[in-house]
Amino acid sequence: MLAARVLVSTGLPDGATVVGSGYRLVQCRHMSAPSVDDLRTRFQASLDAARSAADLKALRDEFLSRKNGLVTALVKSIATATPEEKRSIGAASNALKQEIEAALTTREAEVAASAPPKDAVDVTLPGRLPRLGRRHPLMQVRERVEDIFMAMGYQVLEGPELEDDWHNFEALNMPAEHPARDMQDTLYLATPIPGADGGRAATLLRTHTSGMQIRYMESHEPPVRVIAPGRVYRRDNFDATHTPMFTQVEGLVVDERISLGDLRGTLNGFAEQFFGGKVATRFRPSFFPYTEPSAELDVECQGCAGKGCPLCKHTGWIEILGCGMVHPAVFEAVGYDPERYTGFAFGMGIERLALRLYGVDDIRMFYENDLRFLEQVAL
Amino acid sequence: MKAPLTWLKEFVELPADASIEKVGRAIADAGFEIASIEDGVIDFEITANRPDCLSIRGLAREAATAMQVQGSKGPGVQGSKGPEVQESKGPEVRVSIESPLCGRFALAMADVTIGPSPAWLADRLTACGIRPINNIVDVTNYVMLETGQPLHAYDAAKVRGSRLVARMAHAGEQLTTLDGQDRKLSASMLVIADDGGAVGVAGVMGGASSEVSLSTTRIALEAAWFQPATVRATSKTLGLKTEAAIRFERGADIEGPPAAIDRALALLEDIGAGRRASATSDEYPSPVPARTLTLRADRLARLLGDDVPADDVTRILSSLGFELGALPNGWQVRVPSWRVDVSREADLIEEVGRHWGVNRVPAAFPALRRSPQPSDPGIERTRRLGRLLCGAGLQEAVTFTFMEAAAAEPFAPPAGLVTIANPLSEKFAVLRPSLLPGLLDSLTYNRRRGQESVRLFEAGATCTPAGESRHVAWVMCGARSDHWSDAAAQVDVFDALGIAELLGAAWNLPLTTEPTTDAAGFMPGRMAALMTDRRIGVAGQLLPALTEARGLPPGVVVVAGEMELSALTGMGAAPERVAPLPKFPAVVRDISLLVDATLSAATIRATIRQPHGASTMQLSAIREFDRYQGKGIPDGQVSLAYRLTFRDPGRTLTDREVDEAMATIIAALQSDCGATIRGL
Repeated sequence: MLAARVLVSTGLPDGATVVGSGYRLVQCRHMSAPSVDDLRTRFQASLDAARSAADLKALRDEFLSRKNGLVTALVKSIATATPEEKRSIGAASNALKQEIEAALTTREAEVAASAPPKDAVDVTLPGRLPRLGRRHPLMQVRERVEDIFMAMGYQVLEGPELEDDWHNFEALNMPAEHPARDMQDTLYLATPIPGADGGRAATLLRTHTSGMQIRYMESHEPPVRVIAPGRVYRRDNFDATHTPMFTQVEGLVVDERISLGDLRGTLNGFAEQFFGGKVATRFRPSFFPYTEPSAELDVECQGCAGKGCPLCKHTGWIEILGCGMVHPAVFEAVGYDPERYTGFAFGMGIERLALRLYGVDDIRMFYENDLRFLEQVAL
Repeated sequence: MKAPLTWLKEFVELPADASIEKVGRAIADAGFEIASIEDGVIDFEITANRPDCLSIRGLAREAATAMQVQGSKGPGVQGSKGPEVQESKGPEVRVSIESPLCGRFALAMADVTIGPSPAWLADRLTACGIRPINNIVDVTNYVMLETGQPLHAYDAAKVRGSRLVARMAHAGEQLTTLDGQDRKLSASMLVIADDGGAVGVAGVMGGASSEVSLSTTRIALEAAWFQPATVRATSKTLGLKTEAAIRFERGADIEGPPAAIDRALALLEDIGAGRRASATSDEYPSPVPARTLTLRADRLARLLGDDVPADDVTRILSSLGFELGALPNGWQVRVPSWRVDVSREADLIEEVGRHWGVNRVPAAFPALRRSPQPSDPGIERTRRLGRLLCGAGLQEAVTFTFMEAAAAEPFAPPAGLVTIANPLSEKFAVLRPSLLPGLLDSLTYNRRRGQESVRLFEAGATCTPAGESRHVAWVMCGARSDHWSDAAAQVDVFDALGIAELLGAAWNLPLTTEPTTDAAGFMPGRMAALMTDRRIGVAGQLLPALTEARGLPPGVVVVAGEMELSALTGMGAAPERVAPLPKFPAVVRDISLLVDATLSAATIRATIRQPHGASTMQLSAIREFDRYQGKGIPDGQVSLAYRLTFRDPGRTLTDREVDEAMATIIAALQSDCGATIRGL
């Protein structure tokens, strides 16, 4: 045990393999060699820990090396043993030698079988990802709004962005010099251009998508149940809360018995579907020239659950749309009998909904097309 | 409209415990949004239809109705004549109307002592956002805020002659307004004039020549009614938006002028600033009869979808100043003169609705009486287009429809650009003739923020002098792939063409490409016209001079394409019938040849496609699978390899038949294309 003591005193952990580590096994005449059982236990522990072909090679060297293997040393120790010991040690050490040989051969075969083939690839490298674009957030919100109304049986319209005065103003109860035209400060074309479908010449950029509803009513009899999404234009500043161009979805329902109650139910239903689940709403009387009565719809602020926060300017409410019962003058302009038919209309800004949905506080982000923003949006 | 609570309280008996927030909320719930509540002042947003509420009295009426309390008459009300007329010692001014655009013109004289206003009066004006000037001007502003009726005081000594007349301006007439600006007037503008010319722009702003000053001792106090449209037009033309103009253009109370003069004169006396010096002369050539409307109970219930009790209908309307008479199934309603917005039954229903409470109306849902109608096919087209291009690796962008001229000009058609008459800035001065300039600027924006590879698309409206049309466009720059295994190849013209071909395949278009020279913004020799039975778009590489001018560094290749959306039709309709799968095997032959490098692929394909022999066999596909120029190939030549697939639907072709066809094709290639056959 002298050798063992020497090793311990140099600070090596118990059971460390010293062979091949710069140490030399010292043969000591009076030393008592490790027992067969000790070696078997020690081998088994090392074999269990061996993972690779290199581990197994080191193990084979440690125990079976002709020069200084542990089992070899045990066999050699027979020369100095007593005759009684010779017989028992000889048989046991030979058995151990064969046992170790067999175990190593088996494990070597196992390890060889599980080793990756030469042409193996590193599957932790990134895959060849097809490029993936995303829909613009404004388009996603617009389609979400369209989907909700389509499921309610609405028909989606498309129409020209350059309009004539009749479809944008006159037919909507906004004659020239009507002060309400100030609410929608208009961008005009320097020179009129041919209008849609060979109709009136276009003179302005539409300030709302209501013109599409007028066109629809001019060519269809009630019942009417339509939405009109699209870009609209106002002569407005371009800052964090205003843009001279934005996206609107307007809706129109006309039939024989449409009431303000129908409007409330419809828009409450929309708000629940859009914001998910029950959401408190509030209608406030307002003014639009084309509806009478007119109202604006507020929903409970999602940011603070109605308690008041900077997002809702501490009111607990966020305005999402304007609405009302279609003004009889609008029905007269399109040739509907205002005594027979009633209807409701509403209009919402997609940017305003998108600001809430994505937690964006600067509306300009929707028009910069910065990939660092757009690529964050879910598909 | 800023309303101090103390001022409101002069006209409405508010409950003692009514906080300013509570009063504000009650008025807001009736349709007047609160902009702010500060220092005892509520700032309400007044909608354009309610000029009557651009006054303390009007808001007090709303508060009384909303809170169901009594309105009070307040100081200096209608009916009181104001102070007695003193013996007149100074000049007298009379009024006359020479244009129907002035509906009423009232005027009274007063002897005054100019000085500062008392603090309480000046403080109220300040609280309402109006700067105190002197006691005379302050009283006119105070009465305007209280009643909604604008007033104007002239220095009587400076009026030339003894008459003020409301007339149209003479062409070329000029006037220096109170703000010191020289105004050129036009014949469409209504003015107030004395014998020497215009002394004020009617309803907008007075003139400097007759302004009340420290030396003024007698004033002519004017209160009038002008036609809203003329005031609006003049105010807009002159760029002058005054408190008076805002009220007149929305519609002042035509019964208001004499009462406002009485109120002003009473106030002048109260604060010791002056005394009435004449009776009010009141020109009112065509008195406007009060409107009387019928409100049907069933119509009210039907439009609101709620049965409002009759007592509440009468309570609400009476409190707002309407006079009601009972009818068998409703009411006869006399509209007060200040309610210029109420002209038909629906307006009365709104009055009831907003004070009854829209939120009390039971929510219902409109019944579908027929099956839903199909949406515009363009809606589904845009959706499919978006999905397809996103799947192809393009990011959707949304860019402005208007832009600066410099951005649009390179893409302008020969007919030019459509310009905006009143752009807010030069950045938004012209309408886009193409989606490409906006996409190019977005690409540049991203490139400057470290994005090496950018691929964008947009679908939307474009505009040329010929009219509006809808397009889809795409731009690409940077590496074709960012995978570690790929060579760092950059996108080129064929990536842009590939997107066009993808759209063609998706919509089953017979799309071909042709060289062209007239695609605005594209590089000569690297632009293609996209053809079906007509030209539907272009694709290619953008001009380097253009991309550099928009801010990209030299050497960045930008490829792009644009197509008319109207070309993408058919998809979404009933599927086309499919052909049965072939029963007999195809025969495939490869051919490699050398041709002049300038010969187009389209020419070679067309040569191969020429009738090849009398047999019934069919050439079913031609695929170019290799193209090589360089080492081993003579200068100016290109080596091409084609794979030809032959198939007959009715039988298996024999080798001999195919050999014959190949011989015909080879002969055609040799004679028509000068091709050298390198191998078969």
